[in-house]
Amino acid sequence: MSILAIETSKDRFALAQGGMGEPGRIPMTRITLGSAVLRGTVVTALMASLMPTSALAAPPVDLSKWSPEYVRSIAGTQDFDTAADCAKVTPLDYKGRLTFWYQGVFEGDPDLLRQYYKDFFETFRKTYPNIQLEEQALTYNDLLDKFRTALLGNAAPMAVRLQILGGTEFASKGYLAPLKPEDVGYSTEDFWPGAMKAVTWEGVTYGIPTNNETMAFIWNADIFKRAGLDPDKAPATWEDVVKYSKQIHDKLGIAGYGLVARKNAGNTPYRFMPQLWAYGGGVFDEATANPTYEQVQLDSPQSKAALQASYDMYVRDKSVPVSALTNQQADNQPLFVAGQLGMMISHPSDYNVMLDLQKKATGTDKDKAQTVIDNMRYGLIPTGPDGKRAVVFGGSNIHILKPEYVEGGKVDEPAAKAIICMWTSPEWSLKMAYAGSNPGNLNGFKTKWMKERLDNIKFLDVTTSMLPYGIPFPALPQAPEIMNIIIPDMLQNALTGAMTVDEAADDAAKKVKDVMGGL
Amino acid sequence: MTIVTGKAEARRRLQPGTAGTLRKIWEHRADYAYVLPAIAVMLIVIAYPIYYTVELSFFKTPPGLQLRDKTFIGFDNYTTILTSQVFWKVTWNTLIWTLGSTFISFVLGFATALALHRDFIGRGVLRAILIIPWVISAVAASYIWKWIYHSDFGIIGAVLVGLGLADRPPNFIDNVSTVLPSLIVVNIWREFPFAMIMMMAGLQTVPDQLLRAAKVDGASAWQRFWHVTFPHLRNVSVVTMLLLAVANFNSFIIPWIMTGGGPSNASHIWITHIYELAFGRQRWGVASAYSVLLFLTLMTLGYFYVRALSGNERKEGSA
Repeated sequence: MSILAIETSKDRFALAQGGMGEPGRIPMTRITLGSAVLRGTVVTALMASLMPTSALAAPPVDLSKWSPEYVRSIAGTQDFDTAADCAKVTPLDYKGRLTFWYQGVFEGDPDLLRQYYKDFFETFRKTYPNIQLEEQALTYNDLLDKFRTALLGNAAPMAVRLQILGGTEFASKGYLAPLKPEDVGYSTEDFWPGAMKAVTWEGVTYGIPTNNETMAFIWNADIFKRAGLDPDKAPATWEDVVKYSKQIHDKLGIAGYGLVARKNAGNTPYRFMPQLWAYGGGVFDEATANPTYEQVQLDSPQSKAALQASYDMYVRDKSVPVSALTNQQADNQPLFVAGQLGMMISHPSDYNVMLDLQKKATGTDKDKAQTVIDNMRYGLIPTGPDGKRAVVFGGSNIHILKPEYVEGGKVDEPAAKAIICMWTSPEWSLKMAYAGSNPGNLNGFKTKWMKERLDNIKFLDVTTSMLPYGIPFPALPQAPEIMNIIIPDMLQNALTGAMTVDEAADDAAKKVKDVMGGL
Repeated sequence: MTIVTGKAEARRRLQPGTAGTLRKIWEHRADYAYVLPAIAVMLIVIAYPIYYTVELSFFKTPPGLQLRDKTFIGFDNYTTILTSQVFWKVTWNTLIWTLGSTFISFVLGFATALALHRDFIGRGVLRAILIIPWVISAVAASYIWKWIYHSDFGIIGAVLVGLGLADRPPNFIDNVSTVLPSLIVVNIWREFPFAMIMMMAGLQTVPDQLLRAAKVDGASAWQRFWHVTFPHLRNVSVVTMLLLAVANFNSFIIPWIMTGGGPSNASHIWITHIYELAFGRQRWGVASAYSVLLFLTLMTLGYFYVRALSGNERKEGSA
């Protein structure tokens, strides 16, 4: 199996058709899946290729059946007693102290998520009343910088929840203690195989995934209609995105596609990499079944074609927000809800974010926002010219530090395991991802909260449907620099005219080679 | 005949002096004791980091390894910086940023101070209002200005389009040519009140009788300013400009929050570039060498600042 997580026109995942003759769009709860056999084959092969040998044992859910219907069928089928499960790992009367940093909620997250984070820490304190917990929330963009600095001064916390991108960097440098799901009462098979890859370095597991998600594509049906486009049809390809974006801009004078190209912001790679992979490009061969990361491909014709598409939208057609170079997704959300943006790659949480923004709006803005929400549509991310579809497999992991890098030189391992057991439990891995992601622990899909979530969170089916297309970032210690600095730099160099598309891609490829030590 | 060697002679000459110095130190032992805690704190939080930064600047610190795995490479980091195209681009940005911000803030602050030095109704209120930009948090100001400048929905753009002066909002911070001047405007807006306060304080020291005498002698307003007021303000002007220059060289918040050094490095100045190299890309060695260069530059400015202050003191002493 060579295509891993990338759909081709020939073996297109039946979900994309939605069974409704509307490529790219999945109507809510009415998805009739086409060829179950074909889908099963593709997904099984996909999962198998991502899966370590041991993980082939017995996952708690049948990944080969992964579909919105299947997810719905298993939701609410099993109860879990988190406190009882974690008591087996760390007794509930354990007395200790824990310092813990985590990537917390930020301004772009829905209020619902804030409440669940608050509930989690309250519940932990009630469950483990004798553990003195000193937690600190940091935003996605600040966490890596602060954590790196703390490590240099041996002042890191005992446990940390990092973005998926960070696990390999810190594991490879030897900062993290080995930690596998079995250490906190779960099994490796309970987690997404792709996510387990992101916490594994040279065969050793250094963390546990807390949540995993893939993004989808959202558009405003009303804007599409007014621009003369089919309001119920998402752009099928990235070429369509370029075309639709121009049409929206030319007809309505507003931005078509929500491009994001800010440097040092995680939003940028999450939105550009699907485009890059869809065109057949990549930083390396990370989009293949068994990536070797030996050859830089940023300067390949396919990668340049992907960059050219962004250039065409920003420079040639001027059909995307001019502010894309300094903006991040949190800046696009208000534009979308104000009806000033036609379409964008969207996080699963964006629907709830829009609801929050609507609640906060006043006067006529409130009605305007409601109209946008009513016209909001979710679909699969467009494909490349050869029918390839891809999305970043995102999420977060939780880790324990080695004592020598921790303030005070000691790690309270039972206390750290207690919080990790709770966060990665079926219950809390679901609740903490309620509005914005998916449970890292696959058993979370079986809980009653998943059932409730499916009823409450609109478009959840679509974002979970993108999971099989997920491609993890390269599992390399250099990945954060490549994704957060080199890729955005490449985009900015091309979009500002500082370099041509070719020069920008070549320059980025050279930088990656330098970072990799002269590949 | 006695042969006196050079060393012995030097020792002979030194002895009374050394004893004198030691005696003086002993006499002032209480003073030294008072400043000792401050010196100890400075040694810990300033001297050691400086030493460590200088040391680190001679080491290669591969981003894929821990800092303890660094290897000595002599002056290679300095060579890397000085031969890098980006460094010279960023240096040019830094010069424009520092000189532009410093000079214009000073001129604007001085002009405002002169205007506010006259007695008129509402002077106190106006003075309070003008100080607001300086007391506002730089972080808050940066976010506010980011939205004022927003290339799609900024207030300036909306006003210009609304008045029919532009077809589409001007691109202030998403354009390599306009981003730095746009940030300098924000910096000036924040800094000129400082210059204004300094110059207002300086204006209080200009002897009124001199100005009156000049007026009696028939000097015009410009002549009174140029020949009486300005010479009295020379030292405070130098100090103000040096303080502004040092602050601007070290200015981080506005460019980092508003643009992150972008687009395409067009608003990177030394300090933001150093931050990105160190914390974003983990090139601790290169970032340290860069910091040493910045430190030397600031020390040079500091030297002139101290000289300007000493000049003031000497002048006051001789007066």
